[in-house]
Amino acid sequence: MNGLVAYISRRIGITLLILLAVSFTVYLIFALLPYDPASLTCGKNCNDPGIIEANRKRLGYDKPFFEQYWVFLVGLFAGRTFGEGAATIYCAAPSFGYSFQQHACVTDLIFDAIPVTIALAVGSLILWLVVGVGLGIIAAKYRGKIWDTLSTAFVLIGTSLPTFLTGLILIVFLVIKVDWSPFPAGGYTAPDEDIGGWFLSMVLPWVTLAFAYSAIYTRFVRSQILEISTEDFIRTARAKGLSDGVILGKHTLRAAMAPIVTMAGLDFAGLLGGAILTEAVFNLPGMGRLSLNAVVDIDLPVIVGTTILAAAIVVIMNMILDIVYAFIDPRVRV
Amino acid sequence: MFSKKAEQKMSGHSPRELAWRRFKSNKVAIPSLVVAVLAILSVILAPLIYSLAGIDPNARDEDALDSRGEVPGDWNGISEKHPLGVIPGVGYDLLARMLFGARVSFLIALSATLFTVLLGLFMGIVGGYFRGRIDGIIGRFTDFLLAFPTFFMIIALSAPTIERMEKSGFIQGNEARILYLIMIFAIFGWPYLSRIIRSQVISIRERDFVLSARALGASNFRILVKEVLPNVWTPIIIYVSLALPGYLSAEAVFSYLGIGVQPPMPTLGTIIADSTKYMMNNSVYFFIPTLALVLLVLTFNLLGDALRDALDPKSET
Amino acid sequence: MLKGKKSLKVALATVTATVLAGGLLTGCAPANAGGTITYLTNAESWTHADPQRNYTGMHIAWFGSYLQRTLTAYDRAEGAAGSAVVPDLATDTGRSSNGNKTWEFTLRDGVTFEDGSPITCEDIKYGVSRTFATDIITDGPTYAIGMLDIPSAEDGSSTYKGPYSTDAANDTASFDKAITCSEDSKTITFNLKRAVGDFNYTVTYLSFSPVPKAKDDGDQYDMHPVSTGPYKIKSYKVNDSMVLVRNDKWNGSSDPLRANRAFPDKVVVKFGQAEEVRDQIILADKDKTAVSLDAILPTNLSAVFDDEGNVLEKYKGRALNVYDPYVRYAAVNVKKLNCLPVRQAIYYAKNFDSLITLAGGQAFNGDAADGVIKPLMGLDYAKTGYATDDKDWKPEGNIEKAKALMEQAKTECPALYARATDPKQGIFYDIPDTETNKKASAIWIESMEAIGVTMKFNYIEPGKYYSVVLDATKQGDLSSGGWAPDWANASTVIPELFTAEGGFPMSQNWEDPAYAEFKKRSDANLTEPDRKKQGAEWAALNKYAMDQMWVIPGVFSKTQEMWGSKIGGAYFWEPQGALSFGDLNIIK
Repeated sequence: MNGLVAYISRRIGITLLILLAVSFTVYLIFALLPYDPASLTCGKNCNDPGIIEANRKRLGYDKPFFEQYWVFLVGLFAGRTFGEGAATIYCAAPSFGYSFQQHACVTDLIFDAIPVTIALAVGSLILWLVVGVGLGIIAAKYRGKIWDTLSTAFVLIGTSLPTFLTGLILIVFLVIKVDWSPFPAGGYTAPDEDIGGWFLSMVLPWVTLAFAYSAIYTRFVRSQILEISTEDFIRTARAKGLSDGVILGKHTLRAAMAPIVTMAGLDFAGLLGGAILTEAVFNLPGMGRLSLNAVVDIDLPVIVGTTILAAAIVVIMNMILDIVYAFIDPRVRV
Repeated sequence: MFSKKAEQKMSGHSPRELAWRRFKSNKVAIPSLVVAVLAILSVILAPLIYSLAGIDPNARDEDALDSRGEVPGDWNGISEKHPLGVIPGVGYDLLARMLFGARVSFLIALSATLFTVLLGLFMGIVGGYFRGRIDGIIGRFTDFLLAFPTFFMIIALSAPTIERMEKSGFIQGNEARILYLIMIFAIFGWPYLSRIIRSQVISIRERDFVLSARALGASNFRILVKEVLPNVWTPIIIYVSLALPGYLSAEAVFSYLGIGVQPPMPTLGTIIADSTKYMMNNSVYFFIPTLALVLLVLTFNLLGDALRDALDPKSET
Repeated sequence: MLKGKKSLKVALATVTATVLAGGLLTGCAPANAGGTITYLTNAESWTHADPQRNYTGMHIAWFGSYLQRTLTAYDRAEGAAGSAVVPDLATDTGRSSNGNKTWEFTLRDGVTFEDGSPITCEDIKYGVSRTFATDIITDGPTYAIGMLDIPSAEDGSSTYKGPYSTDAANDTASFDKAITCSEDSKTITFNLKRAVGDFNYTVTYLSFSPVPKAKDDGDQYDMHPVSTGPYKIKSYKVNDSMVLVRNDKWNGSSDPLRANRAFPDKVVVKFGQAEEVRDQIILADKDKTAVSLDAILPTNLSAVFDDEGNVLEKYKGRALNVYDPYVRYAAVNVKKLNCLPVRQAIYYAKNFDSLITLAGGQAFNGDAADGVIKPLMGLDYAKTGYATDDKDWKPEGNIEKAKALMEQAKTECPALYARATDPKQGIFYDIPDTETNKKASAIWIESMEAIGVTMKFNYIEPGKYYSVVLDATKQGDLSSGGWAPDWANASTVIPELFTAEGGFPMSQNWEDPAYAEFKKRSDANLTEPDRKKQGAEWAALNKYAMDQMWVIPGVFSKTQEMWGSKIGGAYFWEPQGALSFGDLNIIK
């Protein structure tokens, strides 16, 4: 058990280091940009250099880089105050800074956006796992038959059609051209307001996002199953006279599970950072839209905040998966 | 995965012959190869096609438009003069623009693939062959790079990076934009390939033929070039066949988001981005470039699958 | 007015207000009351919801109809009648004295904020003071700074820096003298530094509306402005929506302008609608009570209008195609394009025909403009002799003439000639990044190639466009622009566009040799008491600016608006260049 504890603590340590490196790099990249963050805060009033200087001071961009980064890190754990006098702004911990363009603390913007993205990611994850694993199994079981051909066609279309086109085509030809369509043409309804409306507003985004992923998963699951079926323990099972169903359910699928879960975990983590295209096409106010609009508006605090958060989710998910494996498979711990 | 040499011994045929046989037996392989070659040829020979079809990517035919800039009729003005119709608003010939655009799109996708492969190959071989500390550093760096939300970083870095490139004075306008796309695709693309190559190299370096070469006193460089490289071409070909269509459609996606090449130079992506505005009122104009892109990507995907099945029979399914 | 739309047609002499008898209108709900009106827009949020930061005609119209009251306001009526100024928070349209340098307004009884607390003179004074905090309250009109009698510091900025400044040197004393409140806090007096005969038009701006000091949190006030109108904000989320519900503290008897016209129970704004989707929802009448806040996409015009621009039978009563108050043009950065023949060559080579066709054709995009003042301005407009009146001008571009001018430039200004014709350098044109503009740039490049000029484009995100090009360090050689008068006097056009102090000085023409003379005449004309003479002089200065080619003229533009089949009360509200938001109701 000691090995496990050591492994986990080492893994957490590495994760923290990567997180620090990522946050530093992101902060550095955006500090090196040819933008003056202070001059992005005052619109057309920026013709007056005094105003730029005042805002530079208020936002702390007048300090040297390392101090800025340190203040940013401290703000993550202790909150941060901007400016002085009547127009003081306080952003509570974990503070990613203040967006002058959206007039809000970045953390508040993220807290508003992330439930939408979670709803989108969870729904489409379920959908693509069901479709992808299901079709993959069917295709493998009926290899070379019509089902296999159909699923191959599905895979090819799914991997060839860019997501934004899937979304646009769904909206135009399923919502607008069809009078009785129950789905809205984009937009988000909060579930606590109208749960039915929420569900309807999420169906097409789920389908759009899951379409591409389930194609990839179908292909992956099919090849995994076929690969495993050639391995010795399956041959042994078959030799023992077990039925195909039992072999598939008890042995093949169990063995195929680990790589599928890993892949799904990483894809899911990636999505939490924002499904930019799907959110843009369906007008969902999630992390993807938040970060995309921040880039468009050169809203640096939001860009830095969302990038670091998205990276952190991926890094932490990687760590969780590794630790889970360490529990399952003792060999990893070395 | 068993080595090619072992396979050769077993069957008595060279692995290339075997692969070609398997490739030919695949129903979609030859058609997709033909389509892919045709696509690349028509892109290379675009000027010839312009003159054969009597079209010009830079000529605007305003007579094909009505007083408010729209194309009269339901078929986007498809005629002898304009085989695929015209682009509404400006009156460019759609076929000519698509060919011109595809040249740029292919330039981006092919160069990005090339750089991805070079980077991935180098890093993978260095990591896999020398192991130890270098491998560790490359590994951690890969983890670090993979942590970034790639898609978003490409968008976020585009404007400032291109501005920097232009300020440096070396490169301007669309050349800078094209270079940015190529480089950023490669920078975020290589880790996937290098991981595959690394594991391949690790298994190869313990093989008998490498060990014996080393025992005979061959230098690292010689072993790499003579023994290791010839054994990693399978994953490279497979990777290329997947990366190329990936980058083609990535160009379209980033153009849709407003990142990438700017007018008057077209790409397939910018034409599609414009055509989405006409989905309802001129769906022919929307579907022609969209279908062209989807077919291109589909073809290369099919070709990639066929190549993989032929070169790597274990994954053949 | 910046990107805003504003209009005209008003005879300027102080309009005698139609003071409505308040008592008559209270109590009874209007006939078409109830329901939810949904506005759709491609924008991710309001540019600003803070009254002191609003400067777009459409936004002022929207917020002014539902949420913000001002001392005076434009009447809510169709046609020219809508441009009359009527009392809103004030009991009349203002009383001037001291040769139009002192203006006095008295507040009505019973006017309150959404929490029921009364609106006082101090609240308006505080609201106006926020305009001076130019580091935080950005983007709004700065008439208060230009007009109120407060000294200027050496750098030209006001010595008063607004209510947030903690600087001891802040000149609050001067501000307190410039705006004074009566004992009972009912009467507000503005002391101006120059005569402004139409100051009661100036105070229709939301920047002169009240803000309760206790609720003001500076920049963040933009997210939750306090209402004084018949509705209040229930929720406002960027990238998502804004929801308005009835303001139960609002009392119709103190608001004759809006009493009986507060129709819907709820008003929803949905942000971030994809343009195509937004148009299709309304075209297909998917949501019968939806209204588009944006103009219809050019690609969808043929579905709604015939070739002459008339509404098709199917959409009768659901769409508008009207001249908006804008003039569109390409502002010339005269500091960079400091050579008249080059500017003229660009004008003659420009392919007006293709550009107008691309934007929907003459019936929808508008007519080639001969200056920056629209003919609708009446008194202030006279033909300048350019565009259709210029014998050398051709709608598809006069390449010969333009080439001759470039030859002339070759000897007159070799440096600029060399840059303009060098494929590695060329001249830069700032343009908002939209699909239509991308195509327009191809047309421009084609025309310029024909005269040997290399033209390159800076595509700027539409939402960031003006903040980039108004930054003199970032502006290119040419910048696409649009301007409309803030009220019916070209005093809000000519000096705004072409003097260094103006609010929209994209031409940067103050180093031009022709500037001194222009500036002198423009300054003198600002205080010209004879409105006819003033108008004639604005028209002459319009021609003067064109003779110098300080802008490359564009179009006198049109706009197209659309709404769902259950929406009633829609008309084009001319002074704001927007739909009559406050009069929209749901047909039962």
